Amino acid sequence: MKELLLQYLSGIRWQDLFDIIISSYMLFRFYVLFRNTIVFRILIGLVLLWFFQSIANSLGLIVTSWAVRAITAAAALIIIVVFRNEIRSVLQAKNLKAILWGFTHSIVSTPLEIIIDTVYDMAKRRCGALIVFPGKEDLKEVVQNGIQWNGVVSKEMILSIFWHDNPVHDGAIVIKGDQITEVSVILPLSHRQDLPSVYGTRHRAAVGLAEDSDALIIVVSEERGTVTIAKNAHYMEITKKERLEELLEEHIGVMSNPVEQLKKEKLKFGIAAVLCVIFVTGVWFSFTRGLSTLISMEIPVEYMNLDSGMEIWDTSANAVRLLLSGSDALIQSMRHEQIRLRLDLKKAAVGVNTFTITPEDITLPPGILLKRVTPQIVEVTLDAQVKKELPIQADFSGKLPENLILVSAKLTPEYIQVVGKHRVLENMSTIYTEKIPLDNIQSSGTIIVNPFINSTSIRIAQGGKTRIKVEYTVKER
Amino acid sequence: MRYIIFIFCLFLLVKPLFSEESGKQLKNINLSYATICEDVKDNNPKNPAVIFSISGGEVFCFSNFDSVSEKTVIYHIWYRNDKMSTKIKLTLQPPAWATFSSIQLREGDKGPWRVEIIDSENNLLQVLRFSITD
Repeated sequence: MKELLLQYLSGIRWQDLFDIIISSYMLFRFYVLFRNTIVFRILIGLVLLWFFQSIANSLGLIVTSWAVRAITAAAALIIIVVFRNEIRSVLQAKNLKAILWGFTHSIVSTPLEIIIDTVYDMAKRRCGALIVFPGKEDLKEVVQNGIQWNGVVSKEMILSIFWHDNPVHDGAIVIKGDQITEVSVILPLSHRQDLPSVYGTRHRAAVGLAEDSDALIIVVSEERGTVTIAKNAHYMEITKKERLEELLEEHIGVMSNPVEQLKKEKLKFGIAAVLCVIFVTGVWFSFTRGLSTLISMEIPVEYMNLDSGMEIWDTSANAVRLLLSGSDALIQSMRHEQIRLRLDLKKAAVGVNTFTITPEDITLPPGILLKRVTPQIVEVTLDAQVKKELPIQADFSGKLPENLILVSAKLTPEYIQVVGKHRVLENMSTIYTEKIPLDNIQSSGTIIVNPFINSTSIRIAQGGKTRIKVEYTVKER
Repeated sequence: MRYIIFIFCLFLLVKPLFSEESGKQLKNINLSYATICEDVKDNNPKNPAVIFSISGGEVFCFSNFDSVSEKTVIYHIWYRNDKMSTKIKLTLQPPAWATFSSIQLREGDKGPWRVEIIDSENNLLQVLRFSITD
């Protein structure tokens, strides 16, 4: 068992370790950037769906696996559309350093004491107020008409905002951290029928937002001087400051000791980092060391670095068959264009060149192993342009009159220089003229003809004569 | 002594020039005359020419060697359109010898031909070119 494990681990390359580290870090950074947004929770849900789909698939649950796969595919698209604001705010607000390696500790320093004091003071004064403490969800899609404020929370500021004659008093304020970010915010109204009749628009708005988001809303009643909170579609009147403090602390996640909170944050990051490594390692092993599969593929042979003066005349194989092995997941995800066989013709010479295919000649996707190549030897015949001087021969045709004998034919020039493929010219020893008709010859004479070259791979050398003078002599029988 | 060494060196330098000569003066035979003809009568070529009608039925390659030092062989290799058609072995007897080879003509033999005369050591002695026509 121990030997098996050692053998299993000995196959791990340094690239694999690097692969796990990079992927783990990417996942960890993803957690760091999106940890306080709803996107992260949705993503975890998606991962769970994917696992569920894999299990359903392996158990052979046809409809379930199909349905979960469809949901996962649709969810991936929906997440980008629905949570585009959250994604944008995370990516826009942070610089490259923050995205790659920065840590933002979310130490909340909401001045709860000031807020609670102010709330009960306003209740005593019968000054109505609506204060929103957002949760992890983005409120932009739910609320309307907010005016940017971005003022540090203080009793005086809250009182002045909700002062009757203030133009922005009619609406809610949003508190994030120690800042009032927006004022005069219009909240969605609840349509519930079971709300107490004494509740006015302010309470209905608080419950409405609590129904549509994870925010906590404090309502100060103008008529009755009560303090009510609404969260998760529930509402309750709070008479004691301590209770309100407890509920706010629970909602905002404030701890009395910031150092302790920092420690908790660091621990959270540490656990997240370890979980990321474990998760990625698990995924990596399931991908690369899963059920080993064999696959046979035929791929074309690519020839490279061929000398410009040469050309491939013939090859013993234009494609080879590769026997590849790897985990089922990797084999399934492999694409044909990821596999290439390239033979370097840099040192090849004119004639037959024999290449033994080695693993270095073959490019494979990571994690895929080469078992066999067929054929392992490829012969490549190269040719080059050469010059050759060949004798010219007259090619007579037709019928010479019966009474005549053509005793000689002198050609000028006698030789012609041609350029062509070495392998073609190698077997060629004569260049013939175009057909010279004999039918009209009655006496000795001269005729000018062209050489006849019937191969596209041969041509007359530059500067060579293209006109041949044929001086023929005839005599009577 | 120095004079003898000089002559010897000169001989070594000049010798390759002779051995590479066009083929008529090779070793112990000398091809004095060769031609393609319609017939050979009394050891003489009849109607030497470069055009032969297919209706003639036969064509001959005649070769005369005026110097043959010992019994040897030569070859007449017949090519049609640059492709070998036949290779005929002929024996030469000293001191001089004339010999010939021939081919029967058929309809498909029309076209340009050549006969290469080579000695027993594959040295090219002469090339004769002609055409077979209608």
